[in-house]
Amino acid sequence: MLSGFNVILSTISFSIETEEAESLKQQVSFTTTTIPTALLFSGIPFEKACQLRVKGEGGLSAATAGTMVGLSLGEKHFIRGGIAQDLRTDGRKRLTYRPISVETGVIPQANGSARVRMGTTDVIASVKAELGKPDLLQSDKGRVIINVDCSPTAAPIFEGRGGEELSTELSVALQRCLLGSKSGTGAGINRSSLMVVEGKLCWDLYIDGLVVSSDGNLLDALGAAIKAALSNTGIPKVHVATAASADEQPEVDISDEEFLQFDTSGIPVIVTLTKVGRHYIVDATSEEESQMSSAISVSVNRNGHICGLTKRGGAGLDPSVILDMISVSKHVSEQLMNKLDSEISAAEADETES
Amino acid sequence: MEYVSPEGLRLDGRRPMEMRQIRAEIGAVSNADGSAVFEMGNTKVIAAVYGPREVQNRSQQINDQALVRCEYSMANFSTGDRMRKPKGDRRSTEISLVIRQTMEACILTHLMPRSQIDIFVQVLQADGGTRSACINAATLALADAGIPMRDIVTSCSAGFLNSTPLLDLNYVEDSAGGPDVTVGILTKLDKVTLLQMDSKLPMDIFENVMQLAIEGCKAIANYIREVMLENTKELEYRRGI
Repeated sequence: MLSGFNVILSTISFSIETEEAESLKQQVSFTTTTIPTALLFSGIPFEKACQLRVKGEGGLSAATAGTMVGLSLGEKHFIRGGIAQDLRTDGRKRLTYRPISVETGVIPQANGSARVRMGTTDVIASVKAELGKPDLLQSDKGRVIINVDCSPTAAPIFEGRGGEELSTELSVALQRCLLGSKSGTGAGINRSSLMVVEGKLCWDLYIDGLVVSSDGNLLDALGAAIKAALSNTGIPKVHVATAASADEQPEVDISDEEFLQFDTSGIPVIVTLTKVGRHYIVDATSEEESQMSSAISVSVNRNGHICGLTKRGGAGLDPSVILDMISVSKHVSEQLMNKLDSEISAAEADETES
Repeated sequence: MEYVSPEGLRLDGRRPMEMRQIRAEIGAVSNADGSAVFEMGNTKVIAAVYGPREVQNRSQQINDQALVRCEYSMANFSTGDRMRKPKGDRRSTEISLVIRQTMEACILTHLMPRSQIDIFVQVLQADGGTRSACINAATLALADAGIPMRDIVTSCSAGFLNSTPLLDLNYVEDSAGGPDVTVGILTKLDKVTLLQMDSKLPMDIFENVMQLAIEGCKAIANYIREVMLENTKELEYRRGI
């Protein structure tokens, strides 16, 4: 019942005709999941609201607005007000995540892959390992390359080259959060474990993210998907012929059956705190993101150490607020890490069963 | 290379006239107006439809019918070796065009003048027959979006290797260099909307191969109809009728 109602409600403000309703216009024009509260606030009896729905039917399809960040003044006010009162439009508290679901092994051609859904945000990450030659300056480390693509299926604005800017922003932020500095210090992924023959042969990990459906908080979702994909990754065992001399490329034999599990215990989770008004929230939807003044993404590993940090959004932040946000994100990350771990192990169990 | 063993089995264990396992699901992208996943064996694509909506670029507006647009994209990880692709290469532009023309033929565009319908197809895994899979997924997504159509369009490919007609080629068979006939049909009207072939074939054999592909299309259409019916029943159930 409600699900059909959702879509229509946001069009109400165009189609209300009665005078009584006219005065309520501002208050009713909320989107999607807000209905129960919206009705409560506006004081319209439910039957009345259902009539409004019938009237609204002929209006513009709200769903065509796609990722719709075209919000009315009332909607903006409602989102901000809800955040200030610690009750967001979908009934969550400020520091609650949407339900997360993890599916592993979705891309059989890859060495490891995972699909993560947070509400209606849907991302896929895949890991492919290729043998390559290490950099001269870092001869004892393998390479990890992170690349994100925004599929136009997620939003029409990503069509053609439209998604490139966001893709690059996400790739760079992920790189910062997961790989640490150029020298590899502070990295969540242990690149030394990718070494096969020092100075000659190493594994290059290509991590590809794909945004299939976007409803905010892409960075956290991608971070979670990469973590899940890496724990799903098996790197083939390599037997190296010992006879090779110092300057020759060693001959290798890549095993089809034996795989090495990747050590994922050190991989951080990413927590993005979005500041809206005077408060900050986790796991913002795209509507909430449109209201943000700034956001901080912190990647925290199991030990509670911060592995990387990115600030986005224009408005400046007070340094003390930043420190506060970091300590909150550290606290939140523990819950997220546990939740994610249990989801990943459940997904892996599912996969081996089927 | 031997593509059909003396026992009459293909490389992946199928019979010559056997299709890969197909699976379809409606509603994979919640933000879109309509969406679907379509799998044929290891080939897996997602289609999303946005529209009918206001035309974004006014100069493209058509006054007596809807503007249909399509974009085909492949994920980096979709192929066996990782792809380093520039976006919008020739192949994907061509496939976008093919899908657009095929879908345009079945959408009742005259009912939605001055509006725009976007079809986005994303290949998650490519193992031959992406073109066909994309068209099938797009049909489902358009139906999910509630866009009026003349008929269900389905597509399937067939080839001819080791003097045997083969239905639904996979990547290995596709790259063998033999003929690859891709057919798209309007199932109820029994009309061909898409026909492509590379390489060469004698006339009489071509007829057989094309007939085989058409049979494949019909089988897919039956399955697609089942999926749609199932989906409609579920929607009905949710509305509490």
